[in-house]
Amino acid sequence: MTTPLLDITGLRVRFQGADGRVVTAVDGVDLSVHAGRILGLVGESGSGKSVTSLSIMGLLPKDSAEIEGRILFENENLLSVDEHRQRDLNGHRMAMIFQEPMTSLNPAYTIGEQIVELILRHTTKSRLEAEAQAIDMLRQVRIPTPEQRFHDYPHRLSGGMRQRVMIAMALALQPTLLIADEPTTALDVTIQAQILELVRALQEKQTTAVILITHDLGVVAELCDDVAVMYAGQIVEKGAVEDIFNTPQHPYTVGLLGSLPRLDQPQGRLAAIEGSVPDMTKPQTGCRFADRCPFVLPQCRTQAVPLQAISATQSSRCLRAPLERLVA
Amino acid sequence: MLSVILKRVLQLVPTVFFVSVIIFSLQHLLPGDPALIMAGEDKDPAVIAQIRAQYHLDQPLPLQYLYWIKGVLHGDLGESMRLKAPVLELVATKLPVTLQLACMAMLIALTLGVSFGVLCAVYKGRLLDSIVNVVGLVGISTPNFWLGIMLIFLFSVHLGWLPASGYVSPFEDLGQSLKTTIMPAFVLGNAIAGVLMRHTRGAMLQALASDYVRTARAKGLYEHVVVIKHAMRNALTPVITLGALEFGTLLSGAVLTEQIFTIPGFGKLIVDAVFNRDYAVVQGVVLVTATTYILLNLLADLGYILVNPRLRDE
Repeated sequence: MTTPLLDITGLRVRFQGADGRVVTAVDGVDLSVHAGRILGLVGESGSGKSVTSLSIMGLLPKDSAEIEGRILFENENLLSVDEHRQRDLNGHRMAMIFQEPMTSLNPAYTIGEQIVELILRHTTKSRLEAEAQAIDMLRQVRIPTPEQRFHDYPHRLSGGMRQRVMIAMALALQPTLLIADEPTTALDVTIQAQILELVRALQEKQTTAVILITHDLGVVAELCDDVAVMYAGQIVEKGAVEDIFNTPQHPYTVGLLGSLPRLDQPQGRLAAIEGSVPDMTKPQTGCRFADRCPFVLPQCRTQAVPLQAISATQSSRCLRAPLERLVA
Repeated sequence: MLSVILKRVLQLVPTVFFVSVIIFSLQHLLPGDPALIMAGEDKDPAVIAQIRAQYHLDQPLPLQYLYWIKGVLHGDLGESMRLKAPVLELVATKLPVTLQLACMAMLIALTLGVSFGVLCAVYKGRLLDSIVNVVGLVGISTPNFWLGIMLIFLFSVHLGWLPASGYVSPFEDLGQSLKTTIMPAFVLGNAIAGVLMRHTRGAMLQALASDYVRTARAKGLYEHVVVIKHAMRNALTPVITLGALEFGTLLSGAVLTEQIFTIPGFGKLIVDAVFNRDYAVVQGVVLVTATTYILLNLLADLGYILVNPRLRDE
């Protein structure tokens, strides 16, 4: 297989809390993304998805976050480059869109200006050229009358429109990697599908790789090529999307899939995973899901569980994998 | 946007009217009869009656107000009973002094307050932040008269660099004028700088933690662009509010500071007028001060509109 565009090994992020307690938000994540593919990064709140993506962009607070490991992006270790180099890459080679379109744009500047400043920062284009390109990007994200919208301030746009502006800004310079951190969570259901469709259309056109952070498995099934499932700071399972949905190999993934509402068969209450996530301020021995796992064995609690390959495309952090024999 | 501005301006009319009524009434609620004071030791009833008639003091209050406001609108703020000079003239000689002092103090306060506020927010929790915070707190807590005396002691008595007192108009000799006003301006600006610094720091911390600043960093913008263009612009609102208020306070005269440096500004004029029940002067000075206050508020409002595009729509 070709060299991945982004290759994360042993990423560990710790936060020093104000009360002196240390939270390990990401604990030994290995992850790779290949050019032009869409990776779904799935997991519940606090599982480390956003922290992982923010460390790729160098956006974690320097004074409280302690980052270890290696993040190779286009064969360059982002954890050893200086601030200046990271900023050269941000917005140019890799870009990010966020969960909150209502607050992610600066209220004091027109949307046009906010796209133009990005283009001027990373290219040698003139202001006029940059403006033309910004308007073209607004058109590509299907904002009606982009020439007029260019001069609008963010408060005049709806949430969906603002997220389109964020996408236009992120993809203006055709980055090779786009990180979308729950880009549709804050939007109406009807708008969500449009935004995701837009991301996919532009991703195909520009052959951008995408890391789509979400907790919506429906979105993953619809959009992604690969999936990584995170739980309590670790990746518990990763693989091609069809593997994950057809033969999930980690009890947590099974639980997630079981809690999906289905329209094709009658259903009472939605299934939920019992229990809650472990305390991330305490050191963990054994499987982090052990307390909530229906298949737990005594050794799950005592020995560290590595991420093991189940097939050529799928790996799981479970001692009992493959799970088929348990369910059958 | 023009209609928004026009609306703000029109809102001023009733405000100014009520302020003038209040100023006029308050004066007459004070105990003591100015005619008696002016009549001197003898208290000759004929003289008192004549004074009353001359200054309309024998008329009912609403009429007295009308006489007064009519004069005001014609630029006639009445005549000082004590100094036997038109109030307008008194104001016209004192106001430029106070204005110069206030502008210089404000310039010092804004320069120090905003720049250190921003620096503290950027270097939050570091040594610089701690030092500036302590210095700022000391600055706020230092009484003006004490700081004034210390400055005179150091720069005038000890080093002999600056004159200890007096005032020279900038139109006569700019250099000498700056020399006579720099110390009082610093004394006045110092206290405001501390307050501005703390508010700027707070607003900047909030702005720097915002989503749009994260976006700006994700775009790869240089950190100075992120701080100055993206965060500062949004953090300016409280600074505008506070700056306008503090400037208004400066314009009403700084009694103690003017006294220490013997600067012939508004402060002394108004104190003398109050102690001597010089109604016309008190009314005139307070009216001018209140009007400038109102105008400054208007300027602050316009400043908000400039900084915050959301206020342009209505």
